[in-house]
Amino acid sequence: MSNAIEVHDLRKEFLVSHSGVGSVKTLLLWWRKRQLEHLEVLKGITFEVPRGQSVAVVGRNGAGKSTLLSLLARVYKPTSGSATVIGRVAPLLELGAGFHPDLTGIENVYFNGVVLGLTRKEVEARLDSIIEFAELKRHIDAPVRTYSSGMVARLGFAIAVHVDAEVLLVDEVLAVGDMEFEQKCYAAIDRFRANTGSILFVSHDLDAVRRVADRVIWLRDGVVEMDGDPVQVLDHYIKAHEGLLEG
Amino acid sequence: MLAELKELWRFRELLVSLIERELKIRYKNSYLGFMWSLLNPLITVGVMTVVFKYLLDNGTGSLSVYILAAYLPFMFFQLALMDSAQSVIVGLPLIKKIYFPREILPLATICANFIHLLLALLVFFAYLLVVWIRHPQVPPFTATIVYLPILLVINFALATGLGLIISALNTFYEDVKYMVGVALYLLFFLSPIMYFSEQVAASSAAKANPWVYGLYHLNPVAMLATAYRKVLVAPQEVVVNGVKHDPLPLDWGMLGVTALISLIALVGGYHLFNRMKWRFVERP
Repeated sequence: MSNAIEVHDLRKEFLVSHSGVGSVKTLLLWWRKRQLEHLEVLKGITFEVPRGQSVAVVGRNGAGKSTLLSLLARVYKPTSGSATVIGRVAPLLELGAGFHPDLTGIENVYFNGVVLGLTRKEVEARLDSIIEFAELKRHIDAPVRTYSSGMVARLGFAIAVHVDAEVLLVDEVLAVGDMEFEQKCYAAIDRFRANTGSILFVSHDLDAVRRVADRVIWLRDGVVEMDGDPVQVLDHYIKAHEGLLEG
Repeated sequence: MLAELKELWRFRELLVSLIERELKIRYKNSYLGFMWSLLNPLITVGVMTVVFKYLLDNGTGSLSVYILAAYLPFMFFQLALMDSAQSVIVGLPLIKKIYFPREILPLATICANFIHLLLALLVFFAYLLVVWIRHPQVPPFTATIVYLPILLVINFALATGLGLIISALNTFYEDVKYMVGVALYLLFFLSPIMYFSEQVAASSAAKANPWVYGLYHLNPVAMLATAYRKVLVAPQEVVVNGVKHDPLPLDWGMLGVTALISLIALVGGYHLFNRMKWRFVERP
C-alpha cells in the first residue's frame, strides 16, 4: 500500500531571541553578540503513514507535536531531514484562521477554498453543500464579524472537509460546535476515512484519540517515545503521567 | 528562481483571489468607497495647482494636468511600497497555518494598487477631455500615448522589486517602514512632480555641470515622472515667473537606464525575498 505521509530523520531547530522582535537598533548595537539561543524541538523523527490510516500524536506541551504538524503543512522548512505529504493536504490547524471579519460568509468561503487549493470553479460547485453542512443558510451573506465563534468554527470545518483532501492535518480541533454538530463532524471524518483518507492529528483529548486513531505516536522531548497500537501506547502514556503526578 | 516562478504560477488562483479581497476590503466600510482613490489625488492636485499657478506665478498652460500626470503614478508607487511593507506582517496569522508561496502577499497588495492606478488613469483621461472643452487650444490626447504601457511595465517592475525587498526586511526589522516613509517623502521632492524637469535643466547647477541633469534622472522615480508627462501630455513650453523654457524631448536612453534599474530591482528583490521567506514564520 502506498504511503500518505513520509517523515525521515526530521529535525527542526528554532532560534529563540530574548530581546523580542528585531529592530535595526538592536541589529547595529548587538551585531556580534546577539542573544540567540538554539532550541531543538524535533530531534530526528522517522515514521510513515500508509494511505487510509489515522494517526494520533500525543505528548506533553513542548514535545514538538504542533511543530511536526506545521512541518507537514509546509509552514516551516526542516532544519534537516524531510517531511512529505503525498496528495492534497487540508490542514485544520486553526479553523477559520484565514477569515476576514469584514467579508461575508460566501466571500470567505471562496477565499478559504482557494487557499486550501481549490479553484474558484470548484468552490462554486461545492458552495451549497458547504453552507448546508455549516448550517449557515440565513447568515451566509452577513460579514463574518457578526458570527459567533461557533458559527466561525462550523464554517471553517465545513470548508476543510469539502476540499477533497487526501490527508487531513488536525491540531486539537477534530470536532467543533454543540453535541449535534460534533456528531456531524465525526460522521464526516468517518466518511473521509472510509474513502481511504489519512489523518494525522494532535490531541490532548484521549477520548477523541481512542475514537479515531488506528495508531498512536507518542512524542517526548522531540523524539518518538513509542509508536503503535492505540491501546498499548496510551496505556504507557497514561502510566508515565501518573508516575509524574505521584513523583 | 525558475522553480519559484513555477510554484507561483501554480498558485495564480490564490493571487487573483487575494487581489480581489484587497480591492473589496479597502473601502468596505467607507461611504464613498472607491471614490477616495480619486478624491485624494484630485484634491491634492487642486491645492497644488492653486498654489503654483496663482501664488508662485507658474504660467505653464494646463498645469493641473501636468501635475496629475506625474502625481498619479507616484501615488501608486508610494502606496504600493507602504502597503507591501506591512503585507507579510498582516498575513502572518495565515502563513503560520498554511503553505502558499509567501510572495503572493506583497504581490497582491502591489497588484491591487496597480489596478487603482489604471482606474485613476481612466479618470485622468476624462479630466483631459474636460480641460480640452474649456481650453480647445490644448489637444487632449497625443500620439505618444502608445508608449504608456512601456512606462507602466517599468513602473510595475520597479514597485514590485522594491516592494518585495521592503516587505521581506520589514518583517524582521519594523524600522524599515519608517525609513521607507522618509525615503518616499524625499523622493517626492527629488522628482519632477510639483515642478518641471525643464526647470532642472535650466538651473545654474545644470548649466555649469552638464551631468547634473543626467544624474537627476538616474533616480528612476524622477525619470518615470518626466516620462509620464512626455507621454501623456502634449508638449508645451514651461513658463515660470515669466521665464520661458522650451519643452525637452523624452530621453529614451535615460529611460532605458531606468528600465534596467527596475529589472535589477525586480530580479534582485525576488531573489532576496525567496532567501528570507522561510524565516518569516520563525521571526523571533
